[in-house]
Amino acid sequence: MSFNPQISHDIASLDATTHQLFSRLVKLNPDTNKFIPDLAESWQQSDDKLRYRFVLRKNINFHQTDYFQPTRYLNADDVLFSFNRMIDKKHPYHTVNNQTQNYFFNHPFTAFLSEINKIDDRTVEFVLSKPDVTLLANLAAHYAVIHSQEYANQLLQRGHPEKIDFQPIGTGPFKFKSSNSKGIVRYSKHENYWQPMTNIENLIYVKNPSATKRYTKLLSGECDVIAYPAASQLETISKNKEVVLNSKSTSNVALWAFNTKQDQLKDSKVRYALSQAIDKKTILQAVYFQSAMQTNTLLSNQSWAHKARNNSDIFNPEAAKKTLVALDYDFTKVLTILLPENADVFNPNFHKTAQLIQANLADIGIQSEIVKLSGSTLQTRLSNGNYDTYLTGINVHINDPDSIFRPLLSCNSSPENGNSSRWCSYKTQVLLDQSLTESNFAQRIKNYYLIQDEIMTQRPYLPIAHVLRLDVISGRVKNVEVNSLTGINFQNTIKQDLN
Amino acid sequence: MLSFLIRRLNLLFITALILTIIAFIIEKNVVVNNTIIDTSSNNYLLQYFSYLINIITGEFGYSALDNQPLLARGLMFFASTIELCLLGLVFSSLVAIPLGVLGGLFRDTKLDYVIMTIALSGLSLPVFWVGVMVLLLPGVWGDLLPVDGNLSLVYEVPSVTGFLLIDTLFVTDQYGLFAFFDRLAHLLLPALVLSFFLTTEIIRLTRHSMTMVMRSNYIKAAYAKGFSRRKIVFAHALQNALPPIIPQLRLQLSTILSFAMTIEIVFNLDGMGDWLLSSLNAGDYGVLPVGMLIITSFILFFSILIDILMVIISPIMRGSLYANQ
Repeated sequence: MSFNPQISHDIASLDATTHQLFSRLVKLNPDTNKFIPDLAESWQQSDDKLRYRFVLRKNINFHQTDYFQPTRYLNADDVLFSFNRMIDKKHPYHTVNNQTQNYFFNHPFTAFLSEINKIDDRTVEFVLSKPDVTLLANLAAHYAVIHSQEYANQLLQRGHPEKIDFQPIGTGPFKFKSSNSKGIVRYSKHENYWQPMTNIENLIYVKNPSATKRYTKLLSGECDVIAYPAASQLETISKNKEVVLNSKSTSNVALWAFNTKQDQLKDSKVRYALSQAIDKKTILQAVYFQSAMQTNTLLSNQSWAHKARNNSDIFNPEAAKKTLVALDYDFTKVLTILLPENADVFNPNFHKTAQLIQANLADIGIQSEIVKLSGSTLQTRLSNGNYDTYLTGINVHINDPDSIFRPLLSCNSSPENGNSSRWCSYKTQVLLDQSLTESNFAQRIKNYYLIQDEIMTQRPYLPIAHVLRLDVISGRVKNVEVNSLTGINFQNTIKQDLN
Repeated sequence: MLSFLIRRLNLLFITALILTIIAFIIEKNVVVNNTIIDTSSNNYLLQYFSYLINIITGEFGYSALDNQPLLARGLMFFASTIELCLLGLVFSSLVAIPLGVLGGLFRDTKLDYVIMTIALSGLSLPVFWVGVMVLLLPGVWGDLLPVDGNLSLVYEVPSVTGFLLIDTLFVTDQYGLFAFFDRLAHLLLPALVLSFFLTTEIIRLTRHSMTMVMRSNYIKAAYAKGFSRRKIVFAHALQNALPPIIPQLRLQLSTILSFAMTIEIVFNLDGMGDWLLSSLNAGDYGVLPVGMLIITSFILFFSILIDILMVIISPIMRGSLYANQ
């Protein structure tokens, strides 16, 4: 595991790095959903919407550790370094730790960022290749962290550039102290942090794969916060008055994708009928317990573009069977349900979900076959299109509808990158592209409403559930901020009764 | 005495050589990027000698995961395992020796049956299962003792000797005795589970040995002289009944170690078992030969050490000083 949120995107890594070790140029105020300054003091957009100028805050200190002593404050070079590593293919750090194969490493920025210029020590300019309103959202996302250029240069001189991701230096409220092979990571307080700090001197993360043991440790006071309690224990935990069960709805959604290029799934009515056949309520109870919310839309209800009217349960197997018979559907053909082997944050048990879907399909007379694959075999199968349906989901990192619609619905997105329904429609594509450059907010919302209506009728995906992010926090600890997109934040956390 | 020592060391030498051959075969066939076998020649014998020279000089290679020297890491984790075993041994001796002595003294009485029932049930419960059951205790009794990990995370104790009980006492002064007691608390339940099996074993051995001694002629003679039963037991029987248990226990050494390794995995304690399992899971097969060599050479050394010790403390064993001719 690396300590760089630019390259490690799993939830555990993000929780342990993005808010603790690093800061970003801007951040999102969780209450108002507006962008507020973080390392950047202010910013301006040019009239042609292609240039954004950011003025950096003064006197920001990087971490002082036994492996790096900064000699200067944060300046424009650090910002340039952090972004050029991702977007500039000739950058000496671009290939460090082999990140070129990682789709998400540079994806959000290469798509629209053409260059970054240093105006003076405290001013940087982002030049876009085309107008894109998601720049700020991307800059507030977990991967837009600012590294120290001075540290990177020192490492390069010493011949160990790879250490930048494993002995990180940032500007966040905590600094890296040590980590070991058993997954124990220690941070200590960053004394020169530019914002008011908490009473926490040491922040310790420990990896423990057993949910029951995690809860035991929380109860015995050996730890203060645990992530992902066992879904089956939620009821017991919520009854315990000494701990707080924090649940946040996320935009992460579990999906069942229909391969729209497959002959018998080409008709949107067939896809709708199959969607009607699935009993999501049972899936929710059997797989997620109380850790997710049933849904019928791709966007979660916390998104500003969410069209609430669409969110109703359509489960109706009789109607589904009637439609299929009327459409002359070939019931003799076996439908494949492709699924990944390992659980993901959006589905704790793919296999069980698939079995339930299989049973639902059998009820309306469709035979199906579960195909479980992993790694490169799965990728190959997805890219050659040899599947009828695929059980998947999407992990959303920024609160912008484009970040969920584009991977799932754009013609340019491959099945491995999210578009496992192989959906490509002119109408959707035009709406997607228009919304990106649209600075009239009302019009943007309208465009996304249109996309949602289109998806509702065309049904390339059956959304199953929006997953909750669950954390259990001890009563001794106050002010733990959990952001469902970017992870947990201990900056303002106070631990009472320290002895 | 000298010829006895030579005979023992000879045995040690030959066994160790066989073990290195096994380790060499593992290293050669399982470990992908081994650095300690010189593969410039195709001759297996030459390759084996290059391997042998490397391990004699302490060069066991480096972990593929964190680039740490395997031998140093292995010994450190093995020390934790030994720590657990020793604590388990202390617990079980405290319980089992008195029970075994009582069982031997009152053989075939109700007391004896009760003791043997306890012993038998301890023997029939699989250690792994007992461990998992103990893990559930916090749910039943509340959090009396920790069931997971080495040490509370607030204590940052570097491993110097590998024996955390010693490290917590001497390496880090700032925690006072808190870290030591915390470590002890973390070891209590695992050691208790380990002592389940050991207790059974020691009760049976002590009881048998006690019975044998009590039937011997010199005890009968002591009775005939009119000594009190207490004096006979404490002055004559005990000191002759206990030493024969030690070589018997030696035979259980590898069983004890493997149980300790299982328990480590259940309780997520640092140690040989946990190290081997997690390294193998991560694909670091270099630990296999190193782990095997450490464990086997420990058992080997220890057996011979006990042999020598027995010769020194027990007159009966001294007969083996002279080779049978």
